[in-house]
Amino acid sequence: MSEFKIVGKPIPRHDAWSKVTGDLKYADDFSLPGMLFAKVLRSKYPAAKIISINIHKAEQLKGVQAILTAKDVLHNETVTKFGQSTEVGKGFEGLYRVLADKEVRFMGEAVALVAADTEEIAEEALDLIVVEYEPLPGVFDPVEAMKPGAYLVGENGTNIIGEFGCGQGDIEKGFAKAEVIIKDTYKVPFVDHAYLETEGGIAWIDDYGVINIRVGSQVIEHFRDVADVLGLPHNKVRYIGTMMGGGFGGKEDITVETYLALLTWKTKKPVRLVYTREESILSHSKRHPFIMKYKVGAKKDGKLVALDAELVADAGAYPYLSPWVTLYATVNAAGPYCIPNVRVKSCCVLTNNTFTSANRGFGAPQPNFAYESIMDELSHKLNVDSLEIRRINCLTTGKALSTTGQVFKTHVALPEVAEKAWAALGEPVECKEENRKIGRGLAIGLMSYGRMTFLHDSSRSYVRLESDGSVLIRSGIPDLGGGQVSLLCQIVAEELGIPMSRIKIYYSDTALTPLAGTTTATRQTYMSGNATLKAAREIRKRVINKAAEMLNVNPEKLDIINEKILVNYDQSKYLPLVKVIKACNTAGIELFCEAQFNAPFTITPDLLNIRGMTFPDFTFGAQAVEVAVDTETGQIEVLKLVTCYDVGKAINPLSVEGQMEGGSIYGMGYALIEEVIMEKGITMTPSFAEYIIPTAVDVPDVKAILVESGGGLGPYGAKGIGEPSCSIIAPAILNAIYDAVGVRIKSLPASPEKIIRALKKDYFEK
Amino acid sequence: MSTNTKILTQEFEYFAPKTLEETLGLLCKYKDKNTKILAGGTDLLVKMKTINLNVDYLINIKDISELNFINTDGGLKIGAAVPLSHIERVGKVKEKYPALYEGIKSMAAIAIRNMATIPGNICNASPAGDTIPPLIVYSAELKLVSKRGERTVQVEDFITGVGKTIIKADELVTQVNIPEINNNSGSAFSKKSRVKADIAKINLAIWLERDGNFCKYCKIVLGSVFIKAVRAKKAEDLLREQIVNDDLFIKVAKKASEEIKPIDDVRSIAEYRTDLAQVMVEDSLKLAWGRAGGEL
Ligand SMILES: Cc1cc2nc3c(=O)[nH]c(=O)nc-3n(C[C@H](O)[C@H](O)[C@H](O)COP(=O)(O)OP(=O)(O)OC[C@H]3O[C@@H](n4cnc5c(N)ncnc54)[C@H](O)[C@@H]3O)c2cc1C
Repeated sequence: MSEFKIVGKPIPRHDAWSKVTGDLKYADDFSLPGMLFAKVLRSKYPAAKIISINIHKAEQLKGVQAILTAKDVLHNETVTKFGQSTEVGKGFEGLYRVLADKEVRFMGEAVALVAADTEEIAEEALDLIVVEYEPLPGVFDPVEAMKPGAYLVGENGTNIIGEFGCGQGDIEKGFAKAEVIIKDTYKVPFVDHAYLETEGGIAWIDDYGVINIRVGSQVIEHFRDVADVLGLPHNKVRYIGTMMGGGFGGKEDITVETYLALLTWKTKKPVRLVYTREESILSHSKRHPFIMKYKVGAKKDGKLVALDAELVADAGAYPYLSPWVTLYATVNAAGPYCIPNVRVKSCCVLTNNTFTSANRGFGAPQPNFAYESIMDELSHKLNVDSLEIRRINCLTTGKALSTTGQVFKTHVALPEVAEKAWAALGEPVECKEENRKIGRGLAIGLMSYGRMTFLHDSSRSYVRLESDGSVLIRSGIPDLGGGQVSLLCQIVAEELGIPMSRIKIYYSDTALTPLAGTTTATRQTYMSGNATLKAAREIRKRVINKAAEMLNVNPEKLDIINEKILVNYDQSKYLPLVKVIKACNTAGIELFCEAQFNAPFTITPDLLNIRGMTFPDFTFGAQAVEVAVDTETGQIEVLKLVTCYDVGKAINPLSVEGQMEGGSIYGMGYALIEEVIMEKGITMTPSFAEYIIPTAVDVPDVKAILVESGGGLGPYGAKGIGEPSCSIIAPAILNAIYDAVGVRIKSLPASPEKIIRALKKDYFEK
Repeated sequence: MSTNTKILTQEFEYFAPKTLEETLGLLCKYKDKNTKILAGGTDLLVKMKTINLNVDYLINIKDISELNFINTDGGLKIGAAVPLSHIERVGKVKEKYPALYEGIKSMAAIAIRNMATIPGNICNASPAGDTIPPLIVYSAELKLVSKRGERTVQVEDFITGVGKTIIKADELVTQVNIPEINNNSGSAFSKKSRVKADIAKINLAIWLERDGNFCKYCKIVLGSVFIKAVRAKKAEDLLREQIVNDDLFIKVAKKASEEIKPIDDVRSIAEYRTDLAQVMVEDSLKLAWGRAGGEL
């Protein structure tokens, strides 16, 4: 194929209008006749024994249809799964407990479920359930929780649920060669996903006795886990995924689905459950706080010789995805740098805080903040400029990751992205005010796209060419609002030479659509894009072969453009596509295809010494910012924000820019404002009045620079961008603050309070 | 943890009277019950949903045409049903009462300002209410009306504590009156918050009257630093009837920051608030002085 017709064009998504007009039905926009309303009773304590639960009074309330506690759940305790089909073993799979039984481990843990005729009655019933607790001391600091004799959150005799390590060379010798050594500890807080709509859905039993769950979920493969809880065959639970207004990892774990299934199974009626925002902030997963001890050694010219990193992640009360996130952080810990001597050790630890799990970036943003801060410290200490120190140390194509030794056979756009981002800042803003200081910061980073290779990931997609030339696609792909579904339409439109409007796609339905795997791990463009491309190309080949036969030309001379099969791009010599389809149908040629794409498969690594390939590939990027810091108030204003990534190929540049801009702001919130504050397991930021996120008026102009190396593993050389896009901005901003006022903030968020305190400390020390 | 819901679980009776007369009748009739005036509802409904504020009778005053006016002859008179977004569009507000204009503009997003009212902000009596410091510096007064009669009260004397005011159960705030502003005066509002659309860490308003290079009179009011918006009276004393210069402003600002009693909360910490108050007062003094035609 020569030039692209639709791929690479900034076209509106196929579903854009329905979103703008409000016609599109999200999880919350749906109801069924006779539907019941569910509510969840949540624990009042972060750590307590449950002495008794008395539901008697609540049951008597008129309109209450069911009340369930742990004893009503057939398999209340199973194992956390995330759509993987391989057995990855103990290190990764933890306890999944549906309802608290005998004990509660975090505040807001689900204790009982109610279904009632109205939401009001369900709510009233919650107040009538009497739970007798015996509060326990609990443990809330991961470092405390690691110590021998610490309060035990779980049953395993230790709070440590995952330990990882990797590295190369000999760090003792490495540091001995260093001419300068910097040691520092960096901290990052809990943050919330803060998607537009909270977790929610509705479930019912259909004519065939199958539990249908219509829900906003990133992982429709959870139908298996829900079936296991109820003791049903997997084919008796069906997920119908809805469009989402953001997932960000928060809809990767099971949210409302098991509760819905249990209640609909019990009552045989449709049941609806939508979390309130406060409930969502209180009880669903958070991004992991990390404590990161870093030590780097370098030569006087800035060349890195050794890096030692120790990472501790707070897993909260249940494992969920904590071991996986910690593994990501471990592999990412040395950043995109060539360092001969590296040692990384990490662990994740249970506490009685709200549990932590996936959050956009999945363990990449945390170490990125640490290593890019320390690189900046190094650059100032050695007086080597920000760009230069990265230029002389960064990975390039063919080099290997310093943590695991995974070799980059694909394109590594470093230092290109850093140079472009830095240059795009242009001339500095002029500022005459004495207490308003301007500063600039740069950060680079990498993050994988595609799941860990030992999960043996695959995606399937089905494409069918109809006799009128329209196309039907079926893919299990969940769309979080990133345009995942539209992307598949675009690929098929390109391959089959038809307009987007001729395509109908069915998505995210475990009964109807081939399973495409999770919309997580920045994997869908890569995985489902490739599966769909494979299916479309197969059909294309069949149609073109038939046309070649009809025209009596070599198939290589043919292309499909605007629903015509052209010879040598000659507009006058063609067959209408429908005519060829008819001929195929007559000849019994199949114009449908279900294709499967497999990622590279590896074996589960030795977790304490991870070597070789753990991810299919990585995306590289750089962010540069210019800030103004008020030295009297500590207020920070981001004046310029540049984001530059090698996206391989921007299949839809509008969507890619959307991710890069949105990711920057997601990360800007992390850098400057966002923090779920927990005091002894109690959430002190229970609503959007306390948990603050940037809104439209806080967003600076974002300049997105797309580098298209074509060097990715996705369709047309695309790489993933969803998560990488948010993973680098925090240190860029903090480095700019340092540049402006000479204050190094080592714990996020960099609030004005922290800046002023640091400035005052500096002042008194001088 | 209180039960949280997006719905109003409680039962209450709802009225939407069309006249003032009718409203006062209802207020009188239900004065011994949990009766609440509903204006924009942007505070009240939130409380009813989240902290289960008990309400038996809810009286919506938004449909009362007698409360829906803005009169700009001789000062400003604003009816109690006028949404903030209307007030901010009145030219005189921006020109003559910039502290009020800026205070309103700093509040929430337009969707909230399309609903919210000034009396709602005052009666809610949050220490961080953004219209309160401007109204106090402009010596605004509230007209309180009941079946028993009417009275006017200075905004400054109206609020007594967090969520506490001197309003009686049968009374309604019908309007806010702001006196005409002298041409030799200048005012300013300042607010610092975590993001742009947010409740203040600190807000403040300053108004001063200039006579040549003298400051004849001034008011400095800070919010979110005490149980209610407070005047920094010692700071005002330092400035009143003095020749203005940079040094004086610095001293006045320092004094103001010493007078306040901020606390640590989710939005900020006391130490920072004290530092911030000083900077904000100094900046706002300069701005207000400039607006009064003064030079430094
Ligand atoms: C998202 C959001 C953001 C906000 N941001 C800000 C902000 O930045 N700054 C700020 O100051 N506030 C803010 N608020 C709070 C609120 O919007 C303001 O306090 C607003 O002015 C309240 O006005 P209202 O008309 O909605 O009051 P309502 O909620 O209708 O009433 C508040 C109280 O006043 C009483 N009341 C109202 N009118 C009268 C009357 N005429 N006579 C007697 N009693 C009366 C009511 O009974 C009730 O007790 C915010 C609120 C929300 C929801």
